[in-house]
Amino acid sequence: MPDKRADISTLPALSDRELLAARVRLPQHVVHRSFVSETVVLNLRTGKYHGLNPTAGRMLDALEAASTIADAVAVLTGEYGLEREQIESDLLTLTRGLLERGLIVTADNGAG
Amino acid sequence: MAPADDRSRTGREQEHRTAFGLALSIDPRISIPGIAHRHNSTSTREPSVIRLSSGRELERRWDRLATPPARTRELRLDGDLVLTVDFAEPAGYLLWAKEFARVLISPDGMELLCDPDPANDDWASILSAQALPLAATIRGLEVMHASGVVLGGRALLFTGPPGAGKSSLAAAFVRAGAQLLSDDAVALQLREGALTAHVGSAVLQLRGTEDERLSEEARTALGRQVRSPWGKQRYESAHAPDSAPLAGLFLLARSADGPALEQLPAVNPFELIGSTFNLSVRTPARLQRQLDVVSAIAAGGLAHRLRVQPHVDATQLAATVRERFASDRVDAVALAVDPDIQHALEL
Repeated sequence: MPDKRADISTLPALSDRELLAARVRLPQHVVHRSFVSETVVLNLRTGKYHGLNPTAGRMLDALEAASTIADAVAVLTGEYGLEREQIESDLLTLTRGLLERGLIVTADNGAG
Repeated sequence: MAPADDRSRTGREQEHRTAFGLALSIDPRISIPGIAHRHNSTSTREPSVIRLSSGRELERRWDRLATPPARTRELRLDGDLVLTVDFAEPAGYLLWAKEFARVLISPDGMELLCDPDPANDDWASILSAQALPLAATIRGLEVMHASGVVLGGRALLFTGPPGAGKSSLAAAFVRAGAQLLSDDAVALQLREGALTAHVGSAVLQLRGTEDERLSEEARTALGRQVRSPWGKQRYESAHAPDSAPLAGLFLLARSADGPALEQLPAVNPFELIGSTFNLSVRTPARLQRQLDVVSAIAAGGLAHRLRVQPHVDATQLAATVRERFASDRVDAVALAVDPDIQHALEL
């Protein structure tokens, strides 16, 4: 049966600090595949495809692998050689965008 | 027709055929253009049964619905509704094609009940054009909106917007000795990382103006001429093998700029998704398969841009592709499959 728990309405209003300490993951109804030009994220429940540019695609991979978003920031800062603040700001913006679209959930949200 | 077929007809036994990757058991009263490939006895797939139905039988099933019907597809030509697909449990997909037939396809794709328009003796062409690709999609194949040929044991597919030249290119290949896989829809199967293209309906349709330019010799090479009700000339071509490994997918574009043929390592995945045939089936399993097939095409380096330039005809374009593929050994592409692909979703 479709899992309704990860719908947009359940998006927690987390502060930046709370979000950095959170762990996110893809719910079962979301899959993604990496292409050279972009990453395609597919919501199997809605049938909607979403395109991420290669940088956002790499960020999604880092979010999936990390224990917390702050850990993902550290990994990406090492990879891109940019200021931590800039990476953190970009990653939080992406994370909120993905959460709003139901493409990721915070780990304490049991969706999935 | 072989004597065995005649006996089957008089005995009212089902005809056994293969198309779009499906074993088919067909009511002997139904003759589907271009579906002549005999059932492969090694196939492990249970056949989909195609049979004539009275309108009443079809309506009885459609009236006993557990869920209200949902329209999954609607096609209009010049504002006129010509095709619809509705889905409802437990009946399945009801395909209606104006002046052709109604076809009720069971939710598992195992049965196709046909209620033809008695005024149209060509009604069964809607089976190969729409109903069988839909059944194949339900049964786990991914159908591309493409023409396809087999050359040297390898499948080449040509896709693009209407009028891009898909059929013309396939015809040019057939005249040069390739075998026709399908004119408009080709079923792909992803298995253990490799993509296989399956024979569909081997009927080529050429525009009248294009057909007029062909010599008698060229027409003969295309196959048996069959009457077409739409002002196009149809040729029933000699069949390709049952299936062949996919060696190339060519995205046709009318353009004067850029090389005629170009491999696309950074192909736009949405262009590939847009080249798939059937959007009526939106189940999670199908959506994921669609993405996996597109991903396999991209990862295998199979996508190419083929530019149809104003001064180049289909014969020259086909020669360009043949030249490239004659010098480029391409085996069945073994691809690393993301473990996620194997993950069974329980939605």
